[in-house]
Amino acid sequence: MSYIVIDESKCKSCYLCINACPKKLIKAKEKPNNFGEYTAEFKDDKKECIACAKCALVCPDIAITKVVKE
Amino acid sequence: MQTIFETPKTIKENSRFSFCPGCDHGVAIKLVAQVLDELGLQENTILVASSGCSVNLYDYLELDCIEAPHGRACAVATGIKRAHKVQGKEKFVFTYQGDGDFASIGLGESLHSALRGENITAICINNTNFGMTGGQMGPTSVLGQITSTSPQGRNKETHGFPIKTAEHIALCDGTSFSARVALFDVKNILKAKNAIKKAFEYQKQGLGFSFVEILASCPTNWRLSPLESHNKIENELTKTYPLGIFKDIKND
Amino acid sequence: MLKGNIAIAKAALKCGCSCYFGYPITPQTEIGEYLSSEMQEKNLAFVCAESELAAINMALGAASSGAKVMVSSSSCAISLMQETLSYASSDEIPFVLINIMRAGPGQGYIFPSQADYNQSTIGGGNGDYRIITLSPSTVQECIDLTYRAFYLSQKYRNPAILLADGLLGQMAQGVILKENPYPEIDNSSWILNGAKNRPARKICSLEPNQEKLNSHIEKLFKKYKTIEEKEVLYEEYLCNDADIILTAFGTMGRYSKAICNYYRKNGVKMGLFRPITLYPFPNKRLNELSQKTKFFIDIEMNMGQMLKDVKLALAKDATCKFIKKPIGDWSGQEETIAEIDEILKEKYANNI
Repeated sequence: MSYIVIDESKCKSCYLCINACPKKLIKAKEKPNNFGEYTAEFKDDKKECIACAKCALVCPDIAITKVVKE
Repeated sequence: MQTIFETPKTIKENSRFSFCPGCDHGVAIKLVAQVLDELGLQENTILVASSGCSVNLYDYLELDCIEAPHGRACAVATGIKRAHKVQGKEKFVFTYQGDGDFASIGLGESLHSALRGENITAICINNTNFGMTGGQMGPTSVLGQITSTSPQGRNKETHGFPIKTAEHIALCDGTSFSARVALFDVKNILKAKNAIKKAFEYQKQGLGFSFVEILASCPTNWRLSPLESHNKIENELTKTYPLGIFKDIKND
Repeated sequence: MLKGNIAIAKAALKCGCSCYFGYPITPQTEIGEYLSSEMQEKNLAFVCAESELAAINMALGAASSGAKVMVSSSSCAISLMQETLSYASSDEIPFVLINIMRAGPGQGYIFPSQADYNQSTIGGGNGDYRIITLSPSTVQECIDLTYRAFYLSQKYRNPAILLADGLLGQMAQGVILKENPYPEIDNSSWILNGAKNRPARKICSLEPNQEKLNSHIEKLFKKYKTIEEKEVLYEEYLCNDADIILTAFGTMGRYSKAICNYYRKNGVKMGLFRPITLYPFPNKRLNELSQKTKFFIDIEMNMGQMLKDVKLALAKDATCKFIKKPIGDWSGQEETIAEIDEILKEKYANNI
């Protein structure tokens, strides 16, 4: 199963990754963090991630720290 | 299991960028770090940082680094390059500057470094305003652009015209490479990375001054969302600032 | 026989200066002209910068790489460099700056002048910082103090200025170009040469943390205190039994020595106190002298810039008069002597 790792503490909720993901696997969290930010969250119940790393490439805050392909 | 992406090694552990949400500076720094990793340059590099939003760069990159007074990065880089050369050492030296630093207050130092064919690389982030001070009109602000010091929009009668930096640098005979790239989508980010890589390689090969101007978003001062900012770059700014390679000494 | 400018250039090369950055300005252009051919032959770094701003910032970069660096210029162009002197002081980057002073303010003219005393010792840049300032009075001293400027700048990791004037730069005298007497300073712990097998180093003056910025400035001033305690240099000439002591620096120091000799011949017990380091200023010794001698005359080729430092140093019951030597006027001593005669007439009339 391919996946990405998001370091929530670095995410500033710009949502560029949400737009970049071809499989629409990244969403804003439903609950805000301590700063009131709805940070990005990776949810891949159907194991659709293709590890294209587009999300990591567009992330301006190196919050997506890893992309792993299986 | 195969790691497709991880944070570049040249980026300091636990770095936290201080840029506004969606600011392209972060992407540019990541690309620079990736290229330094790929070319194995980290241990031999000296970075010259500048004034502006990029001022904290040395806190993010595991590189020997010096801060230049506002606009003087290319002059400081010249000194570093030459000083190591007389000691018989080739160091990789690059500057990372904003458009205000490179093309406004530092235009003299920038152009003359290119004219001397100084064997350094300059990366210039062009977000068409003075970002750190709150979005004032800069030499790169495009006609009609509303900023805090051009509330009615930049007009050529009062404020003159924006500077096309990459084209100017390309005109210098000492320039080995000059390109303008953007970061508004994945395809362009990859192109930007290639341009940075080429610029760095040209320095390694001793070909002279190499330069990459990166059109970057400034969502906070543009009063747009990160995504809208990228659309603005793609659909509006590239009309004033066409993307492309304006000089490549190997193709000329 | 060497001209002051050439002597400085030769001394710089002799003590291992490997990088020179310059931009032409009279009356110091010979320094760059001489070095251009010498440094090219020796494969050293010589860059004709596009401006003084570029030159001093090239120096900043080169010095951060561990090279011995020199920049030379003159008055109005030194003004352009003040920002970087402030940065280099905060960054603790050593290099030597030669100021062959000309007349100001503004463009002024190429007449010799001493009007950059304030600029050099107080500083024209922003923030709390000090620049080591050495003032030669002869061509031989141009050589000796160039060596010393390199040594002190490296030792204390601080910019140092050699403050001479157009007269000294253009004047030829017989000199001995001896070897650099000072030891090399190890700079391997701080220079930028690539983060190999060690953590990355950063050199920057920006410090957003208020406490850290304050303690950085405190650290700098601790260093300045050491400089003030250890590096003061001055010349005393016939001061021991003097009733009157002249104070003067640089070429005016040399000029005043001749005046001293004149008055001694005429039975007036006159001495000369010549600060060689303008920063650190020899205020302690001057104060000691003023415990015995109560009458001082300060002679400068400016409107009285060192005068305030002299007055601050003197004992409260000592008097200090000022003679302004007109800018560019290094000719006969008659006028100065006439002025001193007037002062002395007044002194003895009032029995000061």
